[in-house]
Amino acid sequence: MPAIPLHTAVSYVAGAYLVFFALILVYVAIMATKLTRIETELSELTDLAIADRAERDPPKVTAAAAAAEAGGLSGDQPKTGALAG
Amino acid sequence: MVWAILRKELRVELRTLESVPAMSLFSVTTFVLFHFALARDTVDGSLASGILWVTLLFASVLAINRLFVADEEQGGFDGFLLAPVDRSALLIAKFLTLLAFLVVLEVVAVPAFGLLLLEPSLGRILPRLIGILLLADVGIAAVGTLVGALAVRTRARDLLGPLLALPLLVPVVIGAARACAPLMAVGHPGRIPVRWLETLGLYDLVFGLVAYAVFDFLLED
Amino acid sequence: MYGKGLRALSITTALIMTGAFALAFFWAPEDADQGFSQKIFYVHVPMAIVALCGFVAGAGMAVMHLWKRDSRWDMRSYVAIHLSIILGVGVLVTGSIWARVSWGHWWVWNEPTLVSFLIIFLLYCTYQPLRFSIADPERQARYASVFAIVAGAFVPLNFMAVRLAQQYTHPRVLGNISGNLPGRMEWAFLACLLGMTLLFVTLWKYEMTSKHASSQLRRLKRLLGEDGQAKGRRTAAPATREAATPV
Repeated sequence: MPAIPLHTAVSYVAGAYLVFFALILVYVAIMATKLTRIETELSELTDLAIADRAERDPPKVTAAAAAAEAGGLSGDQPKTGALAG
Repeated sequence: MVWAILRKELRVELRTLESVPAMSLFSVTTFVLFHFALARDTVDGSLASGILWVTLLFASVLAINRLFVADEEQGGFDGFLLAPVDRSALLIAKFLTLLAFLVVLEVVAVPAFGLLLLEPSLGRILPRLIGILLLADVGIAAVGTLVGALAVRTRARDLLGPLLALPLLVPVVIGAARACAPLMAVGHPGRIPVRWLETLGLYDLVFGLVAYAVFDFLLED
Repeated sequence: MYGKGLRALSITTALIMTGAFALAFFWAPEDADQGFSQKIFYVHVPMAIVALCGFVAGAGMAVMHLWKRDSRWDMRSYVAIHLSIILGVGVLVTGSIWARVSWGHWWVWNEPTLVSFLIIFLLYCTYQPLRFSIADPERQARYASVFAIVAGAFVPLNFMAVRLAQQYTHPRVLGNISGNLPGRMEWAFLACLLGMTLLFVTLWKYEMTSKHASSQLRRLKRLLGEDGQAKGRRTAAPATREAATPV
């Protein structure tokens, strides 16, 4: 077995571990794009649900929907849940 | 049933002469290519064995790619699926067809190899060589039938067939090429290490069983 | 619900992986022959073992798919094989680095484990193209399962054949994991193996959760009346139609 100077060995070992971490990070990036897609679709769906509700009985719910939309996520959640259920 | 399909396959091949002549021609041409690419008049030992097996493998990929194409294009699958017969019959018939093609290919390719490239004379080693060839053929035919059926109904079948078949056949090349290497050595042909024959036998057994187990699922619709 | 327990699992994985690598670097002794470069062993070998087990597990899930006729098993098998292919890239690169540092070449043919891994990797690289080139989702799932089973049976057979083909010229760390490794090295190695296994399971659950979420989303879209099918892209991933569970 050829004796390798410690310095070179360290850089190779670091390289190997870096490959491993880079791989995991690439995976995270792939999952991130998928998550983004889910998020986009979900917000489209929410808009659709609001529009749908507004069409069905105009005055009351439009106001409620507008309020919920202004209220952000916490306002939206029960509504979509109610629709899906 | 198996015999009926097998007879039909062989008759179609005799009439159209589609696969076997192409395979044989391909192998002879490849030997010529090797002569020029390696710039050698004769080869022996592991080099000879490697050339022979790589050539046979690529030639058999041609047949694997064509094996189910006629059935797919002319609706033979549908006809078969409508008939009240065991689906394994198709597997066994196709397996025997491919095996027959491979044997005919080798009847042409091996003497051609002996004539064109191989340094030691073929006569003395022929019986043992035939044994190795048959053992390897069974494995190639089992895997080839499976891969042919798997690839034929995809859009990229010409690409997928070889891509699937070649890695799957690596153990066959290892076993067969290593077993043939001592036979093709110059001078006194060496003994074949038994472990290569065992490897080939195990491969045949495992993939024979696997092909038998999963083939039905390829024919379901 | 694949997301259940995912948080606890992720935290455990992070702790165990960090701990295992710490053990490997600071607690396990340096190898007498290879010196510091032997530390690559603690990331390369567990990754290889986990990737191979992932391939075999994918084959098992494919058997379940063909047996139970449940498309969810196809999804599980797909995710397992997909992850193993990603790990496989890491195995080949780290293996190559290790070969360079111990034998001076980026690739050595007399290291049977690495060579067999390459062959298996090449075979599994055709898994995604195979799926991609079959349009009908049901047939895609069925053919992919057949492939997964054949390839799963190929894994051990190929290892045996390649190993036989070598002449055992090198003294190897790999062949005798429990035999020759000194105690501390062995414990550190086992910790790394455990960490890598947990990482695989975490990522598997993570991806299954994501797939499940997007399939639920698609269902919701259909319920709300938007034509979800119109947007369907051609993909190698299994179709995320859920088995009929009521809303």
